Parts: sequence; C-alpha cells; structure tokens
Amino acid sequence: MTSLEDKFEESKKLGLQIVRESEEDRLMTLSVGPQHPGSGHFRFTVKVDGDYIVYCDPDPGYVHRGEEKMCEYRNVIQNIPHLERPVIHDSSNITYSYSLAIEELAGIEVPRRGQYIRALASELNRQVYTLYWLAIYGIFLGHSTMFMWPTGDRELFIDLLEALTGARVTHAFNIPGGVRNDIPDGFKDWCIRQMRYFQKRLKEYEDIFYNMPLFRQRTEGVAVLSKEDAVKLGVAGSVLRASGVPYDIRKAEPYDIYNEIDFKVQYMKTGDCFARSYVPFLDMQESCHIIEQLLDKMPQSGEVRAKLQPNPKGPPGETYRRVESGRGALGYYIVSDGTPKPYRVKISVGSFRNMLALPYLLVGQKLADMPAVYWSLNYWPVEADR
Amino acid sequence: MEEIKKKFGELIKVVFVKPLRIKIQVEPRDIVEVATFLRDSMGFDHAESAGGTDYPKENQIEVIYHLGSYTREDLGAHILSLTARTSRDDARLPTLINVYKSVEYHERETFEMLGVYFEGHPRNERFLLPEDWADIPPLRKDFRIKGR
Amino acid sequence: MATYPQNFRFGEFVGSLIWLIFWILVIVTLVGLPLIFIILFYVPLPPVGGQVLTPYLFLTMVVDPSRTMPIIQHLMTTDLFRVAMFPGFTYAALIAAVTIFVERKFLAKMQLRVGPLYAGKIEGILQLIADGLKLIAKEIIIPSGADKPMFWAAPIMFVATAAAVVALIPAAQGYVVADVDVGLLAVFAILGFFPLIALLFSWASNSKYPFIGGLRALHQMIAFEIPFILSALSVVILSGTLNLTGIVESQIQSYWFIFFLPISAFVFYISSLAELERIPFDLPEAESEIVAGWLTETSGMIYGLLQLGSYVKTYALAALFVVLFLGGWAGPMVFPPQVQTPLINIAPLYDQQAANGTLWFTLKTFGVIMLMLLPRGISPRIRIDILLHTGWYKLIVLSFINIFVALALIYGNILGPGGLLVR
Repeated sequence: MTSLEDKFEESKKLGLQIVRESEEDRLMTLSVGPQHPGSGHFRFTVKVDGDYIVYCDPDPGYVHRGEEKMCEYRNVIQNIPHLERPVIHDSSNITYSYSLAIEELAGIEVPRRGQYIRALASELNRQVYTLYWLAIYGIFLGHSTMFMWPTGDRELFIDLLEALTGARVTHAFNIPGGVRNDIPDGFKDWCIRQMRYFQKRLKEYEDIFYNMPLFRQRTEGVAVLSKEDAVKLGVAGSVLRASGVPYDIRKAEPYDIYNEIDFKVQYMKTGDCFARSYVPFLDMQESCHIIEQLLDKMPQSGEVRAKLQPNPKGPPGETYRRVESGRGALGYYIVSDGTPKPYRVKISVGSFRNMLALPYLLVGQKLADMPAVYWSLNYWPVEADR
Repeated sequence: MEEIKKKFGELIKVVFVKPLRIKIQVEPRDIVEVATFLRDSMGFDHAESAGGTDYPKENQIEVIYHLGSYTREDLGAHILSLTARTSRDDARLPTLINVYKSVEYHERETFEMLGVYFEGHPRNERFLLPEDWADIPPLRKDFRIKGR
Repeated sequence: MATYPQNFRFGEFVGSLIWLIFWILVIVTLVGLPLIFIILFYVPLPPVGGQVLTPYLFLTMVVDPSRTMPIIQHLMTTDLFRVAMFPGFTYAALIAAVTIFVERKFLAKMQLRVGPLYAGKIEGILQLIADGLKLIAKEIIIPSGADKPMFWAAPIMFVATAAAVVALIPAAQGYVVADVDVGLLAVFAILGFFPLIALLFSWASNSKYPFIGGLRALHQMIAFEIPFILSALSVVILSGTLNLTGIVESQIQSYWFIFFLPISAFVFYISSLAELERIPFDLPEAESEIVAGWLTETSGMIYGLLQLGSYVKTYALAALFVVLFLGGWAGPMVFPPQVQTPLINIAPLYDQQAANGTLWFTLKTFGVIMLMLLPRGISPRIRIDILLHTGWYKLIVLSFINIFVALALIYGNILGPGGLLVR
C-alpha cells in the first residue's frame, strides 16, 4: 500500500500535474470591515472554512483621535469636552473617572450633594448606553422590534438628562470638583415616574426578546467563556460578570457615595452569549433601584461644586482611579508634574480589554454567530480606539 | 501587604504605598519573574492596563502595568502598579504576555505609540495608527501636534 | 459633481409645455389613430344591437357610453382581461403595492413608531410611488467581473417566475389566467425555479458576501420545498384533483380544509415564510452578517424589480394558501342579484357570483398576508443549522401526520365522493 505521498511522487514522474487541495484553498477571507452593517467603526478579518470561522484578527483604529496626546495640551478643565467624545452615550462615566483622578491629585473635596448628582447622572447615562447596546444587539440578530423599542425608551432617559444637564448626549456635566449645575425643580417626581414606566417596559423586553425561543436557541451555549479564561484574558464589565465573577467596582472599591447605596451585583454563571446579553438587562433593573435610592437619600440643599481656581493644579504625583461604566472598569492613570496641564493621561477602557476575547471566542463558531458573539462582548469601537 | 513584597526581593524598589494603590519599580530583566510571583502567590490575576510614559528629562521611558485581582475578595480594590524604566534611545522590555495574557493588545499599542519594543511579543505591529504612519511614535514628548 | 441649475424662465416653461403638447398630438394623430382603426378592422368584435361594429360606430359610442357595455362585457371574457387586469397583472400588482405600504405601517405601529408619514397628505400614502421613482432614478452599479447577461436577466426572471405562479391561481369562479389540469403540480414546478435564480444571481455578482447569501438561499428554499409539497399533498388527497379550481369547488361542497388539516396548514404557512425569505427566515438577506446576502450588489431598478417580485410572490403564496386551505372564493353571498346604477347602467357587466367570489378571495388573501407580515415584528432571525434541522426533520414529520389523517378521512368515506360531510 503506497501512501498518498508516494503516489503523488509517481504521478509527478509521469508528467501529470495533479493539484492537491491545500488547506488554504478551502478558506475564504472575509473582511467584516467598517463598511458592514454588522460591525460598527471596527474591522476584523475572518477566515471561514465552509460555515465555520477558523481565524479572526481584529483591526481597530478607524476612529483613533489621539485622546491621550490631546490631553497633554489642555488644562484639566479644558480636557473634559473632548474626553467625553469616545463614548458619547455614556459620557458621564468617562468624565466621572477623570474628575475623581484630578480631585485626588489636586486635593479637591467634593460636596455631598454634588457627589449624589454625579452618581445620578452616571446611572442615567449607564441606562442610556445599555439600552443602545441592547437595541443594536437586537438588530444584529435581525429583530427589528428589539431595535426600535429600546431606542424609543432611551428617549425617556435622554429627556431626563437634557433637563438635568442641558444637552442630550455629550453634556460635559462632571468637572473636577463636582457638577456644573443643580438639578431643576420637579425633577425628582418626573424621574421616579419614568422609572416606574421603564420597569414595566423591561418586563416587556423580557417577553419579546429574552424569552423568545429563537433567540435562546441562537445564543445559549454559544461561545462559552469560562471563568478561568475570563479572568486570564482580563475582560471587564458585563462580560466578566456573565462568566461567574461577581466583580463590580461600585461594590469592590466604592467611590463617592456608593458605599451608602444598597444594591446587588448581578452575575450569571454560564458565560455563554445568552448570559452576556442578559447581565446588562439585570444591571438595568438594578440601576433603576439605585436611581430611586439616590433620589431619596440626596441631601436637600447644598453646594454642588467645590470652589476652584481657574487653573487647578496640584503637587506632582500620579494616580489611578476607576469607575464602573457601561462596559466595565474605566480607569484613568494621570501623571501630573505640578503644572495645570496633565503630564500624561492614560485611559484604560473596558472595550479594549474585551476585544482580546473576540479572536479567542470566534474561532470555531459558525459565521451566523458572528454578530451575536461580537456584540455580546459589549465592545464599543470608538471607545477602544480613544 | 507590603511586608510580603519586601519578603520577595531586593530587586524591587517601592515608589509609594497608598491605601489602595502600591507602585513598585523593577529592572527590565526582572520583570517577568516579579510578575509571575505576583500572579501566583499574591493573587493579582490580570493586568488591567499597560501603558507607558515618556520622561525626556531623564531620558527614560517608564512602562507601567496596573495589576488587579478579580478572584480574591480582599484584593478586589487594590491596584498594584508594576513599572520598569528603560532608556529612550533603545527601548526594549521583555514581554509579559506569557504571564498576563491580557496585555497583548496593550503592549502592541505601547509599541506603536511610544516605540518600546517588547521582546517575545508575537506581533509588534501597527494597531491603532493608520498603516501609512511615517512619523515618530506619537506619545513621545518630541512629537508635537500640528498647530500647537 | 455640482451642476448649476438654469434660471427659471416662465416663457421657456410655457414653451416647453406647448412643445410637449404638440408632440403628443402629432404622435396620436399620425400613429395612434391609424393603429386603433387597424385593430378595429382586424380584431373580431361582437355585433352591437344588430349592427356590425365598424370604427365609426365605435367612435359614436364614445358619445353614448352605455353602448360600450357589450364591448366591455365581451372583453371581460377574453384572456387578455384575465392576464392584464384580474386576476393577473393589475390585481397582483395592486395587492403587492398595498401589501408593501400596509406592512410598513403595521410594523411601525407594533414598534411604537409611525412609519411613512410625509409622502402624500394622508399618512404617507404615496410613499410607494416615491420609492418607485427614486429607484428608477438611481444609477445601477454592476461590479467588475460580474456576469453581465445573468446579472441583468435574473431580476426579470424573478418577477416573471412570480408572475407565472400568479397566473395559475384562480381568484373567482372562472377567473383564472391559465386553467391547467395539473395546476398544483405546475405551481410547485415553477416554485422550484426560485433557488436557481438566487444562486445564479449571487454567483454572477462576483463577490463573497452574495456568494454566501446565495448558498444560504439555495439551502433554505430547497429544504422547505419538501414540506411544502407534502402539506399540499394532503389537500390533493382530500379533494381528488390537482386542478386548483377543482380544489376550491370540492371545498365549497364540503367544508374548508383547514378544519380537517390544521397541521398541514401550519406546515404550509411556515414553508411559505421560508420560501419568501421573510423574517424569521431571512438568512439569505441577513443584514448584519452578510451585508445584504445575495442582494448585495443590486442597486436601482434591479433592486426594485427584486422587491416587487418578492411581494408578488407573497401574494401568490398567500393566495395559494387561501385556495388550498381556506376555501378559495367561497363565502356567504353579500351581493344583490341585480343592480341598477343611476347614470351608467352596468347591469350587463354585473355578475353576482364573480363579485362575491372576488370579495371573499381578496379578504381572505389579505388576512393571510397580514399573518405573514406578523412574525417580522416579533422574532429574530433564525440560524442556518436550526433552519435546516427544522425543514428536513420536523416539518416533514408533521406533514406526514396530516397525510395520514387525510387518507383516513377518504377511506372512512367521510369526505370524497359520496362522503358523509359532502353537501
């Protein structure tokens, strides 16, 4: 019995050209690029063998604006508007972390009412972001109603934020030292009414989306990220909590007044796509409770902002503060050298860390699972590029 | 907390110790050993971020790894900053990718932004910058943004 | 590229209008009128009131409209009427157009929004015309390396095939474009052409994403043709004929088949959703995974033709569902036997049975179409392996159940000739 190799050698001697099918011939390279309805401002190359993905290579950088470099040219207050551009929906959280870091460097004390309002804006923005994420998750799976409903309900929160801050999305509300303005009259009752309505809507989302058998079939058991892998890969936020690690910075390292608020860290143990899509939903329900508690416990009157000099500066030093944003731990590493302009600002975003899980999870999945897996990693391309 | 660090080695230099933040500095050649020890014995199981700072006055680049712990309850709030300084002209560091898998993309970004070559990293390539970038690494201090 | 619009001059505008009217008059008198005369000389027309219908008599009838009644009555019995008006092209196109608009509004109301609102005074009713004009005006981009004859022919073949299916379906007693003895078999034969068109078009597009989409379309449509045919087979067993008109007549004699064959109706409904590539089965067109599937490289009127064909196919399959399971045009009589209209007496044109049949057929078809539109607002997209598993395993088994029920009903002498339930 001659082997295939021997036969091949023989045939070559005879002069016949038999072309063997090589491994590479079977693969088809697809570029899920920025010009793709299923990718956002992000590109990843995918090699497909039939219907199975065998290789994936992310290629971010389409929206890179050099945030970190720009921070070194402006003083700390001027940095706020451009720093909130990476995530326009969640803009409160990304400036919250920055304000905390600057306050630590410069030694500024924030009044209590300011801290409460800051936390309120942060929770409202978290709802806005998670609803938008959920909407896009719906449309990636082809569920157009699940795209329209969260986008419509998001308007409730955006209206609240507009009354609170003056702008719909990028509002530059947090500054080092507190917030810019106080909350308007009648805000508390309006907010509580919206929360009640929204909680009813969350029940409807569960009926139409999470309990739909087709959705469950498509996402349960798909792309499982085990607990050890999640920790080793260093993923953040809801992806981590869906794999069984109950880590939430609001509980683990409470900043501002979060140690006075009573809430549970929602996590699930399975680590598949369904868990990753369900944990933000549970987070949203928790956020509603947190908002109600914040409105109750807020001090009735007081300053909302510390008095600052025009160019706040502190002694040279460095600090690392983090905040739980919609995607995970958003950390700022700021080095100051005593001048009003920071020497180095390094932003550590949850999306960048979650991107590492993408090639790891996509290999071996079907091509049809690609949008479900990709978006379930709670990846916001603009933020990862900074 | 920090006594256990002192027990490990003379190789490290403690820069500061604050309630939840500790910063230590090591020589580039010892970084892999220290990181392995931190991961295995101390329980810092992931690197939350990795970046670099350029200090042109001292002609050095400092690469800093922020290590956090997901699994240990008592260390959940602590961040240990592990830093190493290398010279600006020939910036090389051994990679921590075998110790902490999560630094793969962070090190790639530091390579292209600051010009620090990580020995052992499988892909030291362009990541966020455009493919036709022909300038010096942007986060260095001698790179001026046009117009400022 | 910016073009500078010319300044508007009122005199030039009036001049252009007069030029247009001049050309219309020239063409009508030099070409149109002689054409009418030639037709009227050679086409056999019925004698009117004992007189031969000459063109001059025809033109006098324009004055007295009641004299055109016999002509129209004669026309309504010809094949041309059936093809062009009812139940052929005009009827199908009208229902397709109404379906598109209703779908957008219906879906919008389910999704807490309003749908098309601005085109047209009442709730955006002219949206379809606006979309059609837009698509006609767009540039058709053909990818380089694409197979040009196939690229141009495929949308036309698509619409033609859909129209061929429409041609076989009876809408009222005696009103069917092609009364074929093996009508149901012809319908399935024609439906088998769709996956071929999809695959050829996607291959001709010379691009990766259409290729994947075309393969998915092929898998999906072929997988669901078998449950389709098997569920229709149970109807054929009960009615004893493949002729679609005969199937409806056998339902008029007994009861509607959906009461005896509910599972078959369900399987037929699911299979028709898969044949139409509607959500939840719109994988060949899955937007977030493979851009637009096999429709990726279409633009302009090619896309318009494909969408039109898709909606005409929707009407065709819904009408097929009505004919097979819901009793076709059967329904209680709601029209009076005679009718007298004041100005123009249309009594000779009025056929009570036909009008009643048309009404009930339209209502039922529309109901089924709404039922087909409903999953679009409710469910996400299915995945290819779940789809193939459903099509090849579960639906075939389900359709066999009803075949056995149908056989039992026939052999137990409950239905069929001389059966218990036959009126």
